Amino acid sequence: MTTPFLQIRGLRKTYDQVVAIDHVALDIKQGEFMTFLGPSGSGKSTTLYIVAGFQEPTEGQVLLNGKSLLDVAPNKRNIGMVFQRYTLFPHLTVGENVAFPLRVRRRPESEIKAKVEKMLELVHLADYRDRLPGQMSGGQQQRVAIARALAYDPPLLLMDEPLAALDKKLREEIQFELRRIHQETGVTILYVTHDQEEALRLSDRIAVFSQGRIEQVGTGEELYEHPSSRFVAGFIGNSNFLPVKVEQMGAGRARAIFPNGQAVEGDARAFAAGSEGTLMVRPEQMRIRPHATSAQGLAVTVRDMTYLGDSMHFAVQTPWEQELAVRMAVRDGQGLCIGSSAVLEWDSQHGHVFA
Amino acid sequence: MPTALSSVAVPARRRFRLSAQTRGIKLMLPVLLLLLVFFLVPVLTLLLRSIMEPTPGLQNYAELLGSQTYVRVFFNTFMVAGVVTLITLLVGFPTAWLLAILPPRWSRLLFAVLLLSMWTNLLARTYAWMVLLQQTGLVNRVLLGLGVIDQPLTLVNNLIGVTIGMTYIMLPFLVLPLHATLRAIDPSTLRAAAVCGASRWQSLRLVLLPLALPGIASGALMVFVMSLGYYVTPALLGGTSYMMLAELIAQLVQSLLNWGLAGAAAFVLLVVTLGLYAVQLRYLGAGRSGMGGR
Ligand SMILES: Nc1ncnc2c1ncn2[C@@H]1O[C@H](COP(=O)(O)OP(=O)(O)OP(=O)(O)O)[C@@H](O)[C@H]1O
Ligand SMILES: [Mg+2]
Repeated sequence: MTTPFLQIRGLRKTYDQVVAIDHVALDIKQGEFMTFLGPSGSGKSTTLYIVAGFQEPTEGQVLLNGKSLLDVAPNKRNIGMVFQRYTLFPHLTVGENVAFPLRVRRRPESEIKAKVEKMLELVHLADYRDRLPGQMSGGQQQRVAIARALAYDPPLLLMDEPLAALDKKLREEIQFELRRIHQETGVTILYVTHDQEEALRLSDRIAVFSQGRIEQVGTGEELYEHPSSRFVAGFIGNSNFLPVKVEQMGAGRARAIFPNGQAVEGDARAFAAGSEGTLMVRPEQMRIRPHATSAQGLAVTVRDMTYLGDSMHFAVQTPWEQELAVRMAVRDGQGLCIGSSAVLEWDSQHGHVFA
Repeated sequence: MPTALSSVAVPARRRFRLSAQTRGIKLMLPVLLLLLVFFLVPVLTLLLRSIMEPTPGLQNYAELLGSQTYVRVFFNTFMVAGVVTLITLLVGFPTAWLLAILPPRWSRLLFAVLLLSMWTNLLARTYAWMVLLQQTGLVNRVLLGLGVIDQPLTLVNNLIGVTIGMTYIMLPFLVLPLHATLRAIDPSTLRAAAVCGASRWQSLRLVLLPLALPGIASGALMVFVMSLGYYVTPALLGGTSYMMLAELIAQLVQSLLNWGLAGAAAFVLLVVTLGLYAVQLRYLGAGRSGMGGR
């Protein structure tokens, strides 16, 4: 087995009493687009900054191609980085900004010129070479920052919420360009965001951070279909969480009962019988029927319905007065109206029981 | 409809702005008057005396620029001011940088030290330096005790004394504006320089210094101009060998009662100062707007 391109091992970082990150471990393949996703304060930036060299871990190791990065000064790590705030050098033109990393490496002038041109073309800003950063929009500045970070062909590109300050339309535009740049250059990218949609759109794999730890690592599909915890399920996509009491554990499946005594089954990790838990079901995997079609169905009342063009959104109320969200194709929702009693159904493999 | 509205609104606003401006000038009148009486009138009197006494003409200026002694004083003045500015920059830049990056507790302490020294009486501070720097003073005794030297150094009544004393006095005038400039620089800009591969030295030379240039220039100019006209410290710490312009003027007025020549010297100093100020406005004004949004 070959050594992984980038290995993050047992990272821990504390500030006095505050534990910023703990037990952070991750292997990243060459050319992979890996995203750190998590709420504010979950330790994404701290992890990234340790890889970049701006912070030293209290414990742990970072290896690039099997060699430790921690003893290497930030300016010798040969890593590219794009920050959330615009960090172009305000006194240098766009061209000079992109040339900066090549200048400090004392590359020949002819090479610098060619490379700057190539990088500005990559980010579609060839005509802006002589502008000052202050004369450009935020989106353009971030594109220049990407060009600057890639100018010296770093094997690894770090990005800390580079699009957070941009409006939605611009963000989507640059996300699209980032995917293209990733494909064209083959650079390995570590990307930080707290926007799940952005993470799903860009990444090969996503590491979900929560309170300084990685909760789960996987492709977007894996995280969505098989979340390992209630936190991940809640953070990626929309979910319904129903209170249950676990009665029996089988091989990867649990039998549980709802507050009204009705039995239900779902995927589950190891569970102690008798403990309280939560059953998670995605809104689009639930169906509302006027009458029960199988034994497993929850009697509900339709409280609200919204026509969304491609689908219908329902709010239904359970016997224990909890509101659940349901999404169905428009034609499947025919015959339902607000206030009517109905039966809520889902396939039991779409139910996940969490602690 | 909207066009009609805006065509009415614009002149209305302009009229309001104009009236606000004239009102502002009216409010400033007492200050302007004060400046006129206490600043412009003495300067004009001085100028007048420099071209009228003892007889009308430019002979005072001719004497000032023709005599070896006086030219020497001019040279000393500019040299001392230049050396002081340079040393103040060399000490002040790291100090301002420290102030900007130290944790708040420590930077507050450093600030307090700076301001406290600034608020202490000038004469007291200068005498304190005389005591510290004399042959049997603390500095010489420490150096002798450490075995760095075996003869006491002559640290007062020469260029060294003036430079030390003046640098100390000028330091806050450089550090305070420079600190404000440095504080405004986003630390992640320097981080970006580091990830780009710049060494500390390259970051300083290629990013920090250019960004700090407006602060450096205005602080340095302030120090230079103040040094040009400084009297107390050069007189006490410099002795007679490095007479500066302010001392010359004092001597001309007090001992020789030569108001004409003193006026000419003072006027030359004023013109040089204003000239430097104009240069700063011209080049740094342009430089700053070129910096763009940040
Ligand atoms: N200099 C510091 N001193 C003390 N605590 C810090 C410091 N820097 C970060 N922390 C703490 O470490 C934790 C992780 O911070 P980090 O910046 O990595 O979060 P993040 O996931 O990047 O959040 P965000 O999405 O808001 O950027 C937070 O609880 C934060 O308060
Ligand atoms: Mg962050």
